[in-house]
Amino acid sequence: MEEKALKPQKNTRTIEEINQKIRNGDVQVLTAEEMKKLVESSGVEVAFREVDVVTTGTFGAMCSSGAIVNIGHPDPPIKLENAWMNDVPICHPGAAVDLYIGASAMSTTQPYEYGGGHLIEDLVAGKEVELKANSYGTDCYPRTQVKTNLTKDDLNQFYLLNFRNCYQHYNCAVNSRDETIYTYMGKLLPRMRNATFSGAGELNPLMNDPDYETIGIGTRIFLGGTQGYVIGEGTQHEASSLNGTLMVRGNAKKMSPEFLRGAAFTRYGTTLYVGLGIPIPILNEGLARKTAIRDEEIFTNVVDYGVPRRDRPKLARVSYKELKSGGVTVGDRRIRVSSLSSLKKARKIAGTLKDWIVQGEFFLSAPVERLPLDGVFKSMKQTEAIVFVVNVMQKAVTCRETDAVSAIAKRIVTKSVNHIVVVDEQGKLTGIVTSWDITRALAEGKDALAEIVTRHVFTAKPDEPLETASKRLAQHNISALPVIDNKNKVLGIVTSEDISKQLGRK
Amino acid sequence: MVRILLKFSEQTVEQPIVSQIILDLKVPLNILTAYVNSKGGEVLAEIPDEALEKVVAAFRMRNVTVSLPKLIEVDTEKCISCGSCVALCPVEAITLDEEYSVVFDKEKCVGSTCSACVDACPARAIKSVKQNNHELHSSR
Repeated sequence: MEEKALKPQKNTRTIEEINQKIRNGDVQVLTAEEMKKLVESSGVEVAFREVDVVTTGTFGAMCSSGAIVNIGHPDPPIKLENAWMNDVPICHPGAAVDLYIGASAMSTTQPYEYGGGHLIEDLVAGKEVELKANSYGTDCYPRTQVKTNLTKDDLNQFYLLNFRNCYQHYNCAVNSRDETIYTYMGKLLPRMRNATFSGAGELNPLMNDPDYETIGIGTRIFLGGTQGYVIGEGTQHEASSLNGTLMVRGNAKKMSPEFLRGAAFTRYGTTLYVGLGIPIPILNEGLARKTAIRDEEIFTNVVDYGVPRRDRPKLARVSYKELKSGGVTVGDRRIRVSSLSSLKKARKIAGTLKDWIVQGEFFLSAPVERLPLDGVFKSMKQTEAIVFVVNVMQKAVTCRETDAVSAIAKRIVTKSVNHIVVVDEQGKLTGIVTSWDITRALAEGKDALAEIVTRHVFTAKPDEPLETASKRLAQHNISALPVIDNKNKVLGIVTSEDISKQLGRK
Repeated sequence: MVRILLKFSEQTVEQPIVSQIILDLKVPLNILTAYVNSKGGEVLAEIPDEALEKVVAAFRMRNVTVSLPKLIEVDTEKCISCGSCVALCPVEAITLDEEYSVVFDKEKCVGSTCSACVDACPARAIKSVKQNNHELHSSR
């Protein structure tokens, strides 16, 4: 006790003390990656004593982003009803000339390739964009049409206003289907031949302050290359499951396309890559320990995006260390994995933020209100029933590959079906033949089924929504899908006829 | 080395044309990718530049369609170094270096016969571009 009294050691520091050090030019700042190394080599106590601020960063596709723009009044004035910028439909949620550019809104002329994200990037880069708008006309806003070209300098306000950014961690995606799928997790090859993940892991801001001790409403941050603010928790925020998110705002006129990029996900849509970094003040030893979190301590699930349901099967649990190593293990398989967010840019953001603080250009702010720790992300309440494949599938008429064509022709007539599913002795799917195949075989005098059977068969799962099964029929221009279980055993068949009848009942 | 794309029809696919040409011309022909079945096929091969003219002529004489495949090019200005393309590349021509920059190895890339990375790039920084096909046309 006495010794402690002789050598008083402060076990906390305040944001004001840190800002004073920034003014004095002797603040100690490390990036999250540097902090982890220091704690590993010298321990938490030393790290707390020596480090004032740890900087973090992330750069990823964040669809719930957008920008508020005020375009000023034309003469005569107009109360905008529908508006487009570079052919991207712009939301008009408020008064006459306030608009919101949503990152995921797609151009009407180049859908999937150009969208709100690209438009925001173009404006940020200083490019001219074309505005077209129309309205119904009122006594006070008589105009019904307007068309003009604008740059960011012509706008009154141009604020990035993102309602969900900076996901604390995210899924690793694979696809168990027989076909390539294009998702918001990128291109997923068939039969789990690749995997994708998103998130910066140990560099992610929220992972370094998981209890929201320092990140709250009013926290000053790096956003898109300039200073911005946290204005609340993001939508779907759920701190308890490490699925925290943030709502942020910043002056887009000062941002840079280096940290704000429009992006296109093939057959999914457009989005905006957002660069975001948060300084974590090391106010106590606990924060020094928390900012030492490593990729090997951050886990996520490998999720099968091949299953078109809300609750997709989780196939494995992997760490961000594995994800960043380029491969993950699912069962006995090693699957190559790609990042969708840029770790290079995440590092650059943490480094840039560090430089700003060291150079006295960026001061820390204390939150005026904490973010909720008890929020729960609920699923949608559904008042209408969804039809699944199992609800409409019929019993499949089957045959063996050794059966004669003539015998199958008879079966088609007696059972009055158009599709015969070929199975092996265990009832597992090996092929399909249609009445058309049989007719042709008979006309050509073939009697061996093996010669005419289609072996590459598109299938459906019983618990898949009927809508995705019918989409598959249309995509491959076929009229039936055998329904199989996970072991390839035939459970039934769903035909375009069954789907038409289902629609007719609605 | 130059890459040529050979297209075999249902009629030509049955014959040992590639072996014949290697033996006749004594050209080291390296097959990079091949998708072949009884209905025909497509073979991507690499041959020495100086052999291009006679190899192309020999294939065409045997009714094989020859063209120069497009190459993949990466616009480093547009690239955001996300790495979406990395795990899609079947020949590991795309990797990340220590700084998480995307590194593209043109030598390993099999070009437009694959193109798995092209539509997976969110920044649209990857494109299929034509090789200089001057020699191919002059050998017609």
